[in-house]
Amino acid sequence: MLRRAVLQTFRQGLAQSFFKRNAVSLSETTVTHQPIETSNEADEKSVSKQKPGDESGNTVVVAPPEFRFMYPEFLPDPAMERRNRLKEKLERIDMLQRRSVVEIPEFYTGSVMAVTVADANSPNKFARFVGICIQRGGSGLRAWFILRNVVDKQGVEILYEMYCPLIQKIEVLRLERRLDESLLYLRDALPEYSTFPLDMEPERRLNNSVVPINPLKVKLRPRPWLERWERQNLQGVEDLNLPQRFYDKAEKVAKPWEKYDLMLQYRKTIPAEEQEKIFADVHSQLQQQEFKRKMRRRRGTDNEQ
Amino acid sequence: MIKARKIDVSFLNKESDFPMKPSGYMCVNSERKVWLIIRKRKRESKKNFWVVETCVLCTSVDQPCELFFNHEQVRTMSRVKRRTTHPPYWHVLKNNQRQDEKISSDNLRFVREVIQDKYKNKSPIKGSDLDIEKKEWDPKTKRSGVIARNIGVQHMWEKDGKKVVCTVLHVLDNHVIRYVPPEEYAKSIIGAKVFRNRKPLGCLVVGAEAANPDRFTRQYCSLFNEVGLLPKKRLARFIVTPNAVLPPCTPLTAGHFVVGQAVDVYGKTIDYGFQGVVKRWGFKGGPASHGATKFHRRGGTIGTGRDKARVWPGQKMPGHMGSERRFCRGLKIVRINMKYNVIYVKGTVPGPTNSIVQIFDTLLPRRKFTEAPPHPTYFPPEDGTLPQEDIWDSNMHVFGSPSISV
Repeated sequence: MLRRAVLQTFRQGLAQSFFKRNAVSLSETTVTHQPIETSNEADEKSVSKQKPGDESGNTVVVAPPEFRFMYPEFLPDPAMERRNRLKEKLERIDMLQRRSVVEIPEFYTGSVMAVTVADANSPNKFARFVGICIQRGGSGLRAWFILRNVVDKQGVEILYEMYCPLIQKIEVLRLERRLDESLLYLRDALPEYSTFPLDMEPERRLNNSVVPINPLKVKLRPRPWLERWERQNLQGVEDLNLPQRFYDKAEKVAKPWEKYDLMLQYRKTIPAEEQEKIFADVHSQLQQQEFKRKMRRRRGTDNEQ
Repeated sequence: MIKARKIDVSFLNKESDFPMKPSGYMCVNSERKVWLIIRKRKRESKKNFWVVETCVLCTSVDQPCELFFNHEQVRTMSRVKRRTTHPPYWHVLKNNQRQDEKISSDNLRFVREVIQDKYKNKSPIKGSDLDIEKKEWDPKTKRSGVIARNIGVQHMWEKDGKKVVCTVLHVLDNHVIRYVPPEEYAKSIIGAKVFRNRKPLGCLVVGAEAANPDRFTRQYCSLFNEVGLLPKKRLARFIVTPNAVLPPCTPLTAGHFVVGQAVDVYGKTIDYGFQGVVKRWGFKGGPASHGATKFHRRGGTIGTGRDKARVWPGQKMPGHMGSERRFCRGLKIVRINMKYNVIYVKGTVPGPTNSIVQIFDTLLPRRKFTEAPPHPTYFPPEDGTLPQEDIWDSNMHVFGSPSISV
């Protein structure tokens, strides 16, 4: 499989753990419906791997491989003409500075989140919006995500820039993943799949080490749709029940050779060695920030008691 | 037209036909008829067009005459070449043709040692070394500029939450190579053109990006022999007033500029190559459907067929687009990082990412300095105290500070 060829660049142990944790997102053929858990997952989640020493004998701390999914905006835009190491380094410093002030938690498309933004036109001067994350993108300080909700029978989508200083708070109410990377089909789905109560409470997860994958299959409204969903290999959608000619045309238009195109994959991603360097750079600071926040939270609960 | 004499046509400024300052010429043609030609200079998309707005036939110049306005547009394009791939003839040959010389590794090491010995580090020039009597700043001083690389674009936010697109410019290792005094510069080819009707100013030659002398020719390296610096990949000339002169081998850093000042950036625009008429000139082309045969992105008609009976010079057609010298004027500096020698400038700059640009103080009259900047350039304090690493404009939101609440 193509992805396995890419993975072999990682070291053996890391490759196995990361493949197991993110099996659904990687393999297109096997779709597992239960969150995968192994005994060593719980340990590996937040513990960094220690690389076996270099010739000098110093141990080099390497970030865990999950970082490329937890913090994808630290990876720069792969287009080679616009890359510059110094600029990326300075941008990362700025991103970490902003993260030290506001907690930007780990989230994926399919997670339900609440964002509080400073708004001059609101009565409280703050506007809070709850919604499901349908798409996320951008790199560096331009990273953004879109939250969708249905308010008073009107579908509403808001694009938030993650590092905008107007954002006061980002909470993840339900941390989970869906079967697709982009949930734009929720626009053509029945409204109940996009409705979330605006006063939703954050849900506590029983198992902190693994992010659950919600195998929900969404029902779409009758046609016309905004996009040709039958051409997009969507896993999270129920059977579309279209006449056969749609599927025939989809086959004609499909590009099945793309999954074998190594150069296309190479151009779309940052090489593994560079990813390791980037996350090693950023890893210790992120850990420190998380630790400080945990202490603050514990102190907060102690004070309440 | 045989002879033309320039006359004053300021009385025509009140007319609504002449929004721009016109110039007038009085000409006598072969039939001894006197023509008053009023011309208006019109800039039309990167080419200098002289447009003859009206030709007026007068019976005599002294008596008041009837004005017959005969609007006639004459288009001529200046024949100056917009871009060349070769440098001007007075430049020395720069790059070495790499010969396949089979040198042993020992000899290579020896060559490297020789190079290191020759270009041993000089002690940096301090501010106290310059004689201060000549160095008073006044509003008419022109300081040196700086060579930088356009690293990319970063988004920053102002204190009211408004997003601002900033270009990141990395100031390379600039050193002053030599100073050409005003009298000498006015004799050179470019200097004579620039200072034809003005008082001449001096010229500072600045170099950036030191490189291995192996890649350059001997003549090019000899330019740097006086200074004793490693040859630089990039050279630039900045016009300076004599009181802003810097001695050779002075380093120029990001501290040369002040946060909040306005700056002009010169660069060569993105090279788009050979482009069609739709992208190059913004033509609309033809209909995409409704039976249009092979006419979707073409230019269409190129002349009337009657007037002049030929294609006029300056007719917009497909051709090479981009890679042209352009200046972006009046860009504001919002942040300076002294540690990495990086300037953040509000707005965008001509040229693609990782291209070289030149930055210098703006010539826009309303945005010039009111207070003295680091003159003639910035020198780190001699008592060893480090300057502030990251300087932000007062209007910008600093990333480590609390979130904005409106």
